[in-house]
Order: sequence, then structure tokens, then C-alpha cells
Amino acid sequence: MTEPGTWPRLARHEGRLAWRDLRYLMTGGGRWRGRNVIIAFVLLAIGLHLLAYGVVGRYAGMTLEVGTRGFTSITGSLLLTFFLLLSQALEQVTRLFYGRGDLDLFRSSPAPVRRLFVIRVLAIAVSTTIMSLVIAIPAINVLALLGGMRWFSALAVATAAALATAGLALTLASFLFDTLGPKRTRFAAQVASAIVGSAFIIGVQAMAILSIGTLSPRAFFNSDLVLSRMPAPDSALWIPARAILGSGSDLVITVLVAAAILILPMILLSSRLAGYAIATASVSNGGHRRAWSTRLFRTSSSRQLLQRKEWVLLFRDPWLASQTMMQLLYLIPAGLLLWRFYGDSRGALIVLAPILTMAAGQLGGGLAWLAVSGEDAPDLIASAPISPMHNLSAKVEAVLIAVFAIFAPFLIGILSHSWIMALIVAGSILLAAFSSTLIQIWFRSQARRRYFRRRQTSSRIATFAEAFSSVAWASAAAVAANQSWFAIAPAIVAILVLAGTWTIRPR
Amino acid sequence: MERTASALRVAGLRKTFQRPAVDGLDLKVGQGEFYALLGPNGAGKTTTLRIVAGLLQPDAGDVSIFGIDALSDPVAAKRITAWVSDEPMIYDKLSPTEYLAFVAGLWGMDAATAEKKAAALLEWLELKPHAHERCEDFSKGMRQKVALAGALVHEPKLIILDEPLTGLDARAARLVKDALLARVRHGCTVIMTTHILEVAERMAERIGVISRGRLIAEGTLEELRKQSGSSNTSLEDVFLSLVAEQETVQ
Repeated sequence: MTEPGTWPRLARHEGRLAWRDLRYLMTGGGRWRGRNVIIAFVLLAIGLHLLAYGVVGRYAGMTLEVGTRGFTSITGSLLLTFFLLLSQALEQVTRLFYGRGDLDLFRSSPAPVRRLFVIRVLAIAVSTTIMSLVIAIPAINVLALLGGMRWFSALAVATAAALATAGLALTLASFLFDTLGPKRTRFAAQVASAIVGSAFIIGVQAMAILSIGTLSPRAFFNSDLVLSRMPAPDSALWIPARAILGSGSDLVITVLVAAAILILPMILLSSRLAGYAIATASVSNGGHRRAWSTRLFRTSSSRQLLQRKEWVLLFRDPWLASQTMMQLLYLIPAGLLLWRFYGDSRGALIVLAPILTMAAGQLGGGLAWLAVSGEDAPDLIASAPISPMHNLSAKVEAVLIAVFAIFAPFLIGILSHSWIMALIVAGSILLAAFSSTLIQIWFRSQARRRYFRRRQTSSRIATFAEAFSSVAWASAAAVAANQSWFAIAPAIVAILVLAGTWTIRPR
Repeated sequence: MERTASALRVAGLRKTFQRPAVDGLDLKVGQGEFYALLGPNGAGKTTTLRIVAGLLQPDAGDVSIFGIDALSDPVAAKRITAWVSDEPMIYDKLSPTEYLAFVAGLWGMDAATAEKKAAALLEWLELKPHAHERCEDFSKGMRQKVALAGALVHEPKLIILDEPLTGLDARAARLVKDALLARVRHGCTVIMTTHILEVAERMAERIGVISRGRLIAEGTLEELRKQSGSSNTSLEDVFLSLVAEQETVQ
């Protein structure tokens, strides 16, 4: 008999699962067509390199003599990527304990579960590294091409950052387990993950608005306000920035610290990981809860019932509510902008109109997916004595009412400044949300609500159509906010996007 | 027992996916009858029942429920029909009471009647202690009982069940069976598919055997025995013999 669950065997198993997951992400569950994937990959690579050229090309001449201003910009960009990676890693680590999947199989087998968790944490580190490199490689290639080979040391910094985020995510998840317990950790970790991912950029934008009156992080990093508070160029704070610029000793320190941040928690915590997984399996959500109404049995129309059901299901699922509403975090800078320039200038409102419209389109799409594709009891609804059109229209109304309620405080704020502007923003919000809802109806495909995060991969056409229509309505809102009739042009584009999507909808 | 009025009439029903799932099926179920539809895996039982319940559109054929053309007026047909599948269709985030209030509302029941009916069903199906708990932690059996309560709360005249006893323990299965027999005693018509032939043998007044989308035999157990040419044998033997004979012919 061979040893059960050897390292290579477990690693191979994890590798195979990760590869299939990646394949699913790339094909959306469809057939794997090698040529198409290569073409898409090449086009994506070209696009990312062109984008990188536009964004970082001008910094290729930077050297170690760049000073505090340069170090602040580099460290700021690095932190932005770092928090995004940390958010991703925290999400994956949490899933490690809560995804039942094959854990019962492993726990009932003679294979050492501790070993499995170590391999799974390593797999998370690898996938975070791949994600980090996908973001970094185009920029590094452009910088190396224009500024010399020394820029390739940034690859090691990107890898180190990713490894460190995996270790930090493990530590943070373990801390949440120990302090909050298995019942609350999942939700807390998911909220933390969403906040960590957006907090840095939102925080920087908020500070930029409040201090220098702009949304631009770059302008904020280069402002005297920030630079006057930053340490001298030889400070330890700039070690990763100096490593990116090619300093060998700083690179060694960065990599060693990152490796320690990953390995130490793995050694110290690995024996507790199986215990966390067992604890999550014993979590119960039971117990008496407050009903949605004190008068459950009351005469309501089927339309009202269906709408109330949608809202109750969303509000009772903190994870789904957080996933849906988290994108609203990005409205915080918009709100601040409105507050900062309240009664001061029309310019802020012109910036706000497209931001709110874009957010409404995305939120509408998410809510529509939940209501239409994420229906938990499709057979019940289909077997009820209501027509499919009645059911769909009730759901569309439920989505639009929810979107409108969420954006109402912004509209009230704008209304007190300019009623025409409020009308324009209200109209564009409704149109964007309605368009996304229509796209979700045309591309509906029954799925469990817990697969909400995978909705983008199940239909790429719907995802892109939703994004394009939101962008078009946002452009129309921006031009209309400028009180120009040219707003009709992007509005026509939005309608054409909808018409095109309708013609290629699955039948 | 001879029945004059029919609760369900299916004529020339056809539905093809990659291959024909239902192939010219004719079926007639009388009012107040307990009818079991049997067949091997992939025979077309579920497809037939999903068409009858209005969940699938047939390629051809007619479906009439208590004289209502279910294909041209599905809303009217659904008003007197209930559908229960092997996978309980309930909402995890609702309690059984909330679920029943929702279903009763969808079927347009009067609120006071629905409340009384729901309370009685929860009591009867031993769900009362859990009436205000969310269904997310319920076992398969409890979920199936909630789904069944949802099917019964609006007092349908025709109940269509697809493998309703799958995964239920003996006690839960007994409760479900008793609930269905009680409904039949009150004049309700039940049509059910099951792989548990003993259940069909004990509960059904008539049994239909379907294979490759066609009804190959129908009648009481005694009549089926005659058709299969064997007497004093169990339904299992009769069923296996009928299906084997059909496969030999084809």
C-alpha cells in the first residue's frame, strides 16, 4: 500500500482543479476552443500593453534618484494593487473553509488534512501571483522596453506582493474565526474582502476630493499636502519602491519579508485549519426569526407578492446583499464630490451624472440576475396561475424600485440644487437599470443564487452588453448634464447596443 | 371503479429533445383517482408531467385538465393544479409560514382561509414547531413536507407529483402518503411518478407504464398482471416483464 495523500498527489489534484476552474472562467462553461483562446489572449495582451504604454510609459526614465515624489507615486500604485490582491486572497481563503465540496471526502479519508490545507493555501498564493503578474507584466514590459532591463526586478516585487497577500489573508481569516466564530466569519470576511479591495482607492479619492478638490489619486500623491508628510528617500517605507527601480539589496529584503509573511502563518496556523472547516460544517442558521410582516396572510396582488419576495430574499441574505451593494461603495467619492461642491458649481453635477448612471446600470444588472436567473423556486413560479409576462414585469418593477430607492438620497441632493439636473440623472439611472434588466431577461439561465459571482462568466455577451449599455447611458447623462442635445448620440448608441443584444439573444 | 368525468386527458403528446422524450402519449385520469405513472429512467415520465403542469411546452398534442385546455389557457388550468417535484422548490430564506403565505397569495386565496389552511397543514405535517424558522437548515424530508404543504394549501383539484418520496425517511414518507390519500378521499385527483413500486402497488387505483415516451400498459394491478401474462406476481415482476417485453419488440 502506498502512503495516502502524498504531497505530489494532492498538489496534482489541486493543480487539476485550479486549471479546470481557470478554463471555466475563460470559456464560461462552453467548449474549449484552443484557437479562439489564443486569439483572445493575444488581443488581450496587445490591449493591456497599449493601455500600459499610455499609463506608465512616461515613467520609464525613473531611477533610484527619483526622490520622495517618485517613491510616493510608485508606493501608492503598489498599495492599490496590493489591496486588490489581498481582497481576492481573503475571498479565496474564506471559501477554503466554507466550500463543502470535497472536504468531507478528504476528512473521511486517511490522507492528512493538514497537508491538504497547506497545499490549498499555496494554491491560493500561486493564483494570486498569477493575477498579480497579469496586472504587472504589461506595465513592466513597457517600462523595460523604454527604460531598460532593470525594470524586470519589478516582476519579483509583484510576486512578493502576491505571496504576502496570501499569508496576510490566512492570518486575517484565522483572526476572524477566533474572534467571531464560524457563523459570522464568512460574512465578515466577505465584507472585509470587499472593503479592503475598494477602501484604498476610495480613501485616496475621498482625501483628494476633500483636500484638493479632485478625484485624481495621482494629483493627490503629487500634492504638497501629501509630499510634506512623507519620509526621506532613504526611509524603510520606500524599500519596495526602490526594489521596483532595480535596487538589488531592497529587492532581497522585499522578497524575504514577503516569504516570511506567507510561510510563518502557514506553519503556525496549519494545524488549526482543519478545525475551522469542521466548525463551519456545524454552523446552524436555524432558530426563530422575525417574519417579513406581522400580517403574513393578507390579500395582496401577485405582483406585490412577487416584489416583496424579491426584496425579502435579498435583505435576508447578507452575503448577497453585500455582494450587490458593495459596488455602491464606489459612490462614496461621488457623494463626497456632491457634498464638497454643493451649491458651488454645476461641474460636480456633470461628473456625478455619469457615475450614478454607470452604478445604476451595474446594480440593476446584478439585481435583475438575482430576480430572474437566480429564482430559487422556478418551478413553483412557472406552475402558479400567473402569466410569464406578469411574473417578469413584476420582477422588473422590483428591480427598478430597489435601484430608485438606493439612488433616491443622491437625487434629493441634486434636486435641491437643480431640478433639471435631477430629472436628467433620474431618467438616465432608470434607463441604465432598465437596459441591464432587459439584457438579464434575454440572457437568463437558471442558476443558484450562491453562484451570483459567476454570473459574469456564464454569459460574456450579457456582461459586455450590460457594460456597454451602462457606459452609453452614462455618456448620454454626462452630455445631457452639460445641457447639450448631443446627448441623443450616445443614447442612440445605447439603444443600438440593446437592439444588437436582442438579436443575438439565446432562443 | 368506472369514472365518468376525467380530471386529466392527454392526447397525442409529443416532445423531442435530442431524441423523442414523449412520443404520441395518450392518457386519461378520472376525477378523484390516484394514478401512478411508472417507467424506467428516461422513459418520459417527468417530461409528461412537466408538460401537464405547464412547465414545458409540447411539440404536439393536447392536454386538458378538468375540461380546460391547458395549452391555450394555462393560467386557468394552473389555478386548479399543484406541482411537486423530487427537488423541493422552496426558498431557503423564508420560513414555512411565510412560504405558505406566499404560495396562497400566488394562487389568489382569501387571506383568512389561507391562514387557517396553512396552520392546519403545518400541524398535520408536523412542521408547527419549525413554522417560523427559515428553511435553510431543514433536512430533505422537512423541505419536501414544506413543498407538499405549499401544493396543498391552495386546495388544488389535481396534484401532480414527480418522485415525491425520494430521500424521505419512513416516517416522513408515511406522512406524505397519508396526506395524499386523504386528499384523494376528499375528491382530489393525484397523478404521481415513483420508482418505489411498492408505493404504487399500495396507493394507486390505476397504474400506467411508460417506456420510450409511450404508454405500454395501463390498468389496475390485476389488469396489468393479465396484460403481462402472469398472475399472483408483484408489481415489480409485472413492471419488469412489461418493460422487457416492450424492449424486445423494439
